[in-house]
Amino acid sequence: MKSQTVNRLLFMAVALVIGLFLVFLLSIAGNKSKGPVQSTIDRIAKEVIALEEEYILKQRSHQRREKLAGFEALTHDIQTLKNPKIILLGASDNVTKESFETIIDLEDSLKTTFQLIHIYNAWGSKQEHKFPELSVETILKLGSVPVITWEPWLSAFSEEEFPGIPVPEKRDKGGLIAIANGTYDKYITKWAIAAKNIGKPIFIRLAHEMNDPYRYPWGPQNNSPEDFKKAWVHIHTVFDSVGAGNIIWVWAPHPSYKYFSVYYPGDEYVDFVGVGVLNFGTAVTWSKWWTFDQLFGSQYEKLNEFQKPIMITEFGSLNVGGDRPKWFADALKGMAEKYTTVKSVLFFHYPADNTITNKTVSWYFIDDKETKAAIIKQIGLWPDSIKYTAVPPGDFNIKNP
Amino acid sequence: MWQFRQSRDINNIDRFVLLILFFGGIISIAILAEWWFRGEHIVNFPLFVILSTFFWYGIFRIILIWINYLRIKKPESVPAPKEGLSVAIFTTSAPGEPVSMFEKTLAALKNVTYPHTTYLLDSTQDQAFVDVAEKHGAVYLDLSNLPGAKAGKVNKALELTDEEFILILDPDHIAFPNFLDQTLGFFEDGKVGFVQVSQGYYNQYRSFTAAGAAEQTYTFYGPTQMGLFGYESSVAIGANCTFRRKALESIGGHAVALAEDLVTSMRIHAAGWKSVYNPVIVNRGLVPEEFGSFAKQQLKWSRGVFEVLFVELPKLFKKFTFWQKFSYSAIAFYYLTGMMTLFFILIPPLYFFTGIIPANMDFTEFLIRGSNVAFIALLVYLYVQKFLVHPETERGFHWRGMILKYSLWPVYFLGFVLALLNYKIPYIPTAKKAVIGSVTPFARPLIWYNILFLISVVMVFIDRRYFVPESELIFTSTRTWGMLGFSMLAFIQSMGGIFAAWGAMRLKEENPWEKIDVNHIITKKTKK
Repeated sequence: MKSQTVNRLLFMAVALVIGLFLVFLLSIAGNKSKGPVQSTIDRIAKEVIALEEEYILKQRSHQRREKLAGFEALTHDIQTLKNPKIILLGASDNVTKESFETIIDLEDSLKTTFQLIHIYNAWGSKQEHKFPELSVETILKLGSVPVITWEPWLSAFSEEEFPGIPVPEKRDKGGLIAIANGTYDKYITKWAIAAKNIGKPIFIRLAHEMNDPYRYPWGPQNNSPEDFKKAWVHIHTVFDSVGAGNIIWVWAPHPSYKYFSVYYPGDEYVDFVGVGVLNFGTAVTWSKWWTFDQLFGSQYEKLNEFQKPIMITEFGSLNVGGDRPKWFADALKGMAEKYTTVKSVLFFHYPADNTITNKTVSWYFIDDKETKAAIIKQIGLWPDSIKYTAVPPGDFNIKNP
Repeated sequence: MWQFRQSRDINNIDRFVLLILFFGGIISIAILAEWWFRGEHIVNFPLFVILSTFFWYGIFRIILIWINYLRIKKPESVPAPKEGLSVAIFTTSAPGEPVSMFEKTLAALKNVTYPHTTYLLDSTQDQAFVDVAEKHGAVYLDLSNLPGAKAGKVNKALELTDEEFILILDPDHIAFPNFLDQTLGFFEDGKVGFVQVSQGYYNQYRSFTAAGAAEQTYTFYGPTQMGLFGYESSVAIGANCTFRRKALESIGGHAVALAEDLVTSMRIHAAGWKSVYNPVIVNRGLVPEEFGSFAKQQLKWSRGVFEVLFVELPKLFKKFTFWQKFSYSAIAFYYLTGMMTLFFILIPPLYFFTGIIPANMDFTEFLIRGSNVAFIALLVYLYVQKFLVHPETERGFHWRGMILKYSLWPVYFLGFVLALLNYKIPYIPTAKKAVIGSVTPFARPLIWYNILFLISVVMVFIDRRYFVPESELIFTSTRTWGMLGFSMLAFIQSMGGIFAAWGAMRLKEENPWEKIDVNHIITKKTKK
């Protein structure tokens, strides 16, 4: 009797072990960076998108990319994009779930066509943290170049994906040195390969406002400037190692926290200097009405020391405590003469922004006729040589600016 | 075809392989579950709950069937029956059943070698049936105007007779001469209440529906019932079941219910009797040849099985052994599949017309995890085909059976709704002759669905061609066309169902039993 019990247990145990092994084999088959199932599906998806482009998109009478026909050559030309002759205009809008219509509405109302479209992507283990392939493909199909603000929120990584990392509450302390040491390389590499596969230039604003100790976990409250530089260089190196040479790196300190150069990773790792210029007016207690010149002009010289083109990555003003049309008019008036190295301006057009304050504020000005008129007027006054002029629909014979 | 068959023996290697696949499957399912229930997948909470309930109910059923196969069992030997047992064979005739069929049935019963008395339980009051009974030496019993349909007649006949063992045989079934030799011996064990054998068919070649309906039963009458036997919960399936009179009497006679066979076997088990499932083909009968009859049969069963779920199961639950509780619960919930199918096929139209999706899942991620489960399920499915009673003809993917099972969702759904509303449907014997020349109303929901699909295709195309902003096209491309693809699978299966239903228009009038030569049935075991 006893030996029978032993036999049975043995029988079960061996079956369990072989069963585990079977699953292990199946998982290996499926878990290769791109398993057979995944690559087949990806291919089908690509095919479907291509078919739809051929039989639906191209059949339409008006396509946005036609208006950007004159800009088309630049979307392939990373060297020119790294030092453009014109001021590249763009915008971000967080109501862009599965469509960029809000941004297109904005540009239409400003009588322009944005050359850049700005999106945000956070680090982490979930689906939404992967390289935003669909958004990027869409932006490119629309004829623009994508700008991605890439935020290292380490707390969104799962311990399943990265065994042994500290609990989320303790993960941010020294998070940048962990990045520099390669802890999160698995994620960075995947993202970098996906970015590389796009095959066209992409602006990446990585770990922005790293000098602000109050906002983001990658700030100085958790990390030293040295760690920041090491992390930046490490990430850049990972991108280089997978051959992702299509990235334009935007290093973006906060203009209000004066320490810039201690965070600067070095000329060979940075292509653009980014800076957010947002006037909160009197909407929040800690703010007052600041002009563009006060916010940006006061720091311009220091930012210019790096001798890189400058991108106003978040450009906007609330409507409380001052004259908003005038704010935009003053900012844009003669920008090319006053701030010669500014090569890109991205409107920050968020209808409900609660990232900085506990109060939700709206940066929307699409319904504000005077503001729009002021912007249109000032940009209209810019010389043609420093701006992209949208091509009227159907007119393809426009030369590159 | 007219030859004795039996499924092959099970050895330790088979059990070992099935156990390995079971563990592999369970682990794969655990991996899938861990992924499925991540919070990021929830967009619409109520819909996600419904989706998950249905999906995991489906997975749970797969686990149940795997568990069932773990105890797959065949009687070690078929004991030869003692001489001198008193045996009755009951077969019933009802108005509308062709008398020519009884010529064969009764002739075949006359050839059954073990001494027995055949009774024809008639409710036609037709002289032709009296004559046919007399011709083949069967005892004619006029049992017309009794309540309780077939079971009512059986119970009345039980009062009128006194044989110790009773084989209840459906009138369309042609018994082989060695039928009783394959069942009576098991009653040596005084605890055995009934002996069930497998069931073969002889008209599956007649139509798509017939082939599909037969395919659906192959696995059930082979490995599934063998597994149920292993868990001491075989199901009597109406036809071909040999009962011990005492067992039937102990539960007050054959149960009167839509799913009378299931209820009878449950009650006999609850009363403490054992049962035997012998996987042999010692008779062949008819499957419904056209979709309408099949749908009616399935409606009756699904309604009846839900009645079991609501009434019989709770009543008997305490009396069952653990595994009987388990198996009978699994059977009682089986026909929820209609509601599940309906829910799944409505997901794409819901998305097209309202934009609602129940879950935010990456299809590739799902496939990577789901395909492991599917792969193992397929391995199990193919492996247990070793134990089909007649593998040479029964093996395969049973795609016709799958299409029919899908296409019957309106029927199963109706069965569920009728059960919920406690709406009774009359007991109608399954049609023995095909209803030729019309498309059954049960196929209408399939046609509606397909019209809905075609409207979706046109609408999606027009919408995307002219209205969807170009900045939205790419985002929604794979999901929209993926949904359409999913919907198209349902469309194709519905087409299969419609094709099956349309088969009734093309079916040739024929009495398939007329070709049978009851004197040339081979009863020797053929060794491979």
